[in-house]
Amino acid sequence: MNLQLTLAARYLAGRKLRTFLTTLAIVFGVVILFGMNIIMPSMLQALEANMKAAAGVVDFSVTSVSGEAFDPAVAARLADIEEISALAPAYVRTFNLPMDFFDEDPATLDRVTAIQLVGVDPEAVQTLRAFPLMGGRFLEAGDLGQTVISQSLADALQVRLGDTFWLPTVDGLTPLTVVGVLPARTLPGNEEVLVTLAEAQRMAGQPGRITTIDLNVAVDATDQEAREALAAEIQNAVGENYQVGALTSGADVFAALEMGQAILSMFGIMALFMGGFIIHNTFRTVLMERQHDIGMLRAVGASRRTILGMFLAEGLIQGVLGTVVGLALGYVFGVGMLKVAAAPISAFINIQLKDPVVEPGIVLLSIFLGIGITVAAGILPALRASRISPLEALRPTAAAASFETNRGRGFWVGVALVALSVAMLFFGQEAMIAAGGFVFLVGLTFLAPALVRPITDMFGVLLGRLYAREGTGEVARGNMLRQPARVATTASAAMIGLAVLVGVGAVLSSMSGTVFTMLRSNLGSDYLMVPPSIGLWANNVGASEGLVDELAAIEGVGPVASTRFAASATEGIAISLLGIDPTLFPQVSGLGFQEGDESAYGELGRGRAMIVNGAFIMATGAELGDTLELATPDGVQRYTIVAVAADFLNAKVTTAFISQANMAADFGRAEDVLIQLNLDEGVDPEALDPQIREVMQAYPQFNTIAGYAYLDQMLALFETAWSAMYFLLAFLAVPSLIAMLNTLAISVIERTREIGMLRAVGATQRQVKRMVTAEALLLAGIGTGMGLLSGLYLGYSWVVAMEAFFPLEYSFPLAGLIAGLATGLLFGALAGLIPARQAARMDVVAALRYE
Amino acid sequence: MNILETKNLTKIYGKGDTAIAALDGINLHAAEGEFVAVMGPSGCGKSTLLHLLGGLDHPTSGKVIINGQDVAEMTDDALTELRRREMGFVFQFFNLLPVLSAVENAALPVMLDGVKAEEAKAKATEWLTRFGLAERLANRPDQLSGGQQQRVAVARALVSEPKLVLADEPTGNLDTRSGDEIAGLLRDVGQKYGRTVVMVTHDPRIAAYADRIIFLKDGRVIDETVLEQKNGKNAEMVAERMTKLAN
Ligand SMILES: Nc1ncnc2c1ncn2[C@@H]1O[C@H](COP(=O)(O)OP(=O)(O)OP(=O)(O)O)[C@@H](O)[C@H]1O
Ligand SMILES: [Mg+2]
Repeated sequence: MNLQLTLAARYLAGRKLRTFLTTLAIVFGVVILFGMNIIMPSMLQALEANMKAAAGVVDFSVTSVSGEAFDPAVAARLADIEEISALAPAYVRTFNLPMDFFDEDPATLDRVTAIQLVGVDPEAVQTLRAFPLMGGRFLEAGDLGQTVISQSLADALQVRLGDTFWLPTVDGLTPLTVVGVLPARTLPGNEEVLVTLAEAQRMAGQPGRITTIDLNVAVDATDQEAREALAAEIQNAVGENYQVGALTSGADVFAALEMGQAILSMFGIMALFMGGFIIHNTFRTVLMERQHDIGMLRAVGASRRTILGMFLAEGLIQGVLGTVVGLALGYVFGVGMLKVAAAPISAFINIQLKDPVVEPGIVLLSIFLGIGITVAAGILPALRASRISPLEALRPTAAAASFETNRGRGFWVGVALVALSVAMLFFGQEAMIAAGGFVFLVGLTFLAPALVRPITDMFGVLLGRLYAREGTGEVARGNMLRQPARVATTASAAMIGLAVLVGVGAVLSSMSGTVFTMLRSNLGSDYLMVPPSIGLWANNVGASEGLVDELAAIEGVGPVASTRFAASATEGIAISLLGIDPTLFPQVSGLGFQEGDESAYGELGRGRAMIVNGAFIMATGAELGDTLELATPDGVQRYTIVAVAADFLNAKVTTAFISQANMAADFGRAEDVLIQLNLDEGVDPEALDPQIREVMQAYPQFNTIAGYAYLDQMLALFETAWSAMYFLLAFLAVPSLIAMLNTLAISVIERTREIGMLRAVGATQRQVKRMVTAEALLLAGIGTGMGLLSGLYLGYSWVVAMEAFFPLEYSFPLAGLIAGLATGLLFGALAGLIPARQAARMDVVAALRYE
Repeated sequence: MNILETKNLTKIYGKGDTAIAALDGINLHAAEGEFVAVMGPSGCGKSTLLHLLGGLDHPTSGKVIINGQDVAEMTDDALTELRRREMGFVFQFFNLLPVLSAVENAALPVMLDGVKAEEAKAKATEWLTRFGLAERLANRPDQLSGGQQQRVAVARALVSEPKLVLADEPTGNLDTRSGDEIAGLLRDVGQKYGRTVVMVTHDPRIAAYADRIIFLKDGRVIDETVLEQKNGKNAEMVAERMTKLAN
């Protein structure tokens, strides 16, 4: 093993640039996988800390499975349980605050972006928790408009005992006078604003409802068994509509974040696989380069295992190196991103980011994948290397020959894989289709050697024209055909890069068309009243029906449609319910239908029906026409899926649209969280604007946006997201393009002696340079050809796979194709430049001595 | 006792019309401690013969018997071990690993056998010093002259103290004096340590160091001569004989 490691290290050190470039591919994958998994869990943990801080001070809490507020009468069911020593109902809800709500200064960072409204029964709650007042008094029954807050919140708001501050509520701004001050908050999470139960219910527009029943029990806290038994007993008493323990509010945020994390992890793993592929390619080149060395080693007594070990050691070294560097850079990347993103993130989902979270699991996974994939990528070439016979060392010409004989089997494997991938396309299952894209890529790499000749011939004609007078085009073509395996290896490297480029290009172009139409219908109303957090509705403070009525009453205002929110769950999966008015909603807004059509709006009003989005279908596995049981505060209700459709704002969230009437009846929610309105035809928008804004003044929780301003804002946001996607794309493509440069450089090194000989017998520098450039262009041509082909397939399969989430129509990525072609050839020329210069400048004598 | 023996050894390259019989029914043997030179014009099958003797290639027909064992019947692992411990090779081309230093290259068979690196290198240093390379131990092959590379290869062939040394033009790139030195060394290892050496060469002066010379032509043994005086004095006689046979 010692010798193998030495040899591996020496070979790697001998080709520093190549080692660097191939290792880079692994570094890149690990950075993404690890970095992203620092960012997301940090956010998740901050969120969890928020929720735990809210829940952790009492022994147990009972909440609705739906995550919604419920009838306090449930408490009666617990009366018979003797171990319960204290019990108090509470209405707890996070209120997202608009930007600059308290400081009114956009320049300074908001110290309070959200508060936790806690409505309590003043007497009952004091049997549960202690409130060590620093000043003033605690709440008293019947208090309305009074609050108790911590010293730290008071400082942040710059209020003192007796002062009044305002909070946005469903009925407009509500004043709260500080009657008591508690010590500064030390727990993570949002600051609490303690009010009486009635006040909280009024502020949130849910009279007579509570969100949790907190309990303390007379059971030894260390007696885990007894606690579990008691928890079961409580669960039994309250019934299956309720859960004992964790709070569920925020489950939708959780779900969305977890989804995001899964997607980004997939991206990282994909990058790692590409890295593996690049390494595999490099190994194949290395194998060719080292035929003689391996043969010689075998001849002097190295066993097959020794050779195998040497190759695997090389993979291992690169894998370890890449993974270690990747982990380090990933950490820096993750932490850096968290720093940069902390402000916008905390504004958007209202969590205060704490220290970055590094889960041991993800470190292990990164190490496992980083090293594992590298070593795995080396296994086939290593096995092949171990099969090289000692004879290879003994003949100067033996190198190229042995590879072409291998073509037969690889070709048929390639054909089989490509056929399989096409079959997978017709399988109809999204995961299968997406996987098919990769199978196709792998298949093509196997096919590559056989494709070299036809493509070379095709491009050769072109090149022949270009270099007609030089005669170097022919030499270049001859070189290609002489070593199809090497050419194929290089070309596959280019292929992967371009395939991904064209593939994602196809997805993006298919998406943008759809998204822009959807945006227009979805957000194209004359006015939009949007809350601070879009898509994650639970923590927004909405408005009661009064606001919509007020708006509708303004002369010249046409249809006003609102969207309401309620949390729910089906089969344990958190879902976000949006209540719409079946007649008004289509007039000012619209959904993009994937299955079913506009007639579904009407069905929402008849019985319990829902329109669900793609994320919902993905998460639950349900189909059009299925009837699902949705958790409501009063037990489950059966809703039937009447259409699959998506809107722009909720595309990522597991969402179902139901009628507002049903939402009020089943979930007790009538709070508008998003309002859209159109003006009557012919009215002067300028004249109406002040009136509308005046009404909205009492509801600072809404950002009132006129006309197409929001659309423009969203489109701009979207464009940014688009460019970010392209950036990531380029990121993915670059390593494989680098790999192409790398393989090309190797091909020059490989032929050092030959080039030296050419120079010695009279080829000019210019001729050698031209020959290498021609070769690079040919290589790029082959790689581009295959890349575009597989890119088309990848793009198509991805679009089909994504249709499940998102209404998409495949559009042929003509622009992507042209861009891919240009990039491929340009890069070919660029990639040829360095080796060409190197070849031309080569010292003839040194070249001839080269071994 | 014969350490090496071939029976009707035949090697045919290619098929049909283009088939070339590189070796055509060769019967030869080499005794323990014997120094055998193989001579013949270019393309007569000398290298091919050597490769077959070392078990590096498979004969089309016939047998190679080493230490009484048929090479064809040995597993790859057994053959590898045999090469590592009992045989030393000097090839006509590509002898050294470019990434290893002279001493590491020379120590390779011993290191492959699991001997500690220092020990292996000490042995290799001994041989390299004998070949006048004491100053160039740490140099990589591309920093050595062709002749120096060849000497490193010879050192490597001897380092594991093999019973059988197979050398293909070991003096091909060397000047007369160094060539003589190497040939003398090969003869000495035969005499002193009882090693068998089979050496391919086209140089009559070098061949004259051997105990016995086998002449090949068109893949056949056409003559054999036993030399009494093994110090190169017979060079003229060998040369004369060769020219005669070539015609
Ligand atoms: N792999 C091969 N395929 C086809 N023919 C081969 C192969 N190897 C050797 N030959 C042919 O076999 C014959 C013997 O070759 P060999 O290398 O043994 O000659 P040699 O005696 O060593 O010549 P030289 O003194 O020039 O090295 C030659 O005619 C050669 O062309
Ligand atoms: Mg030869």
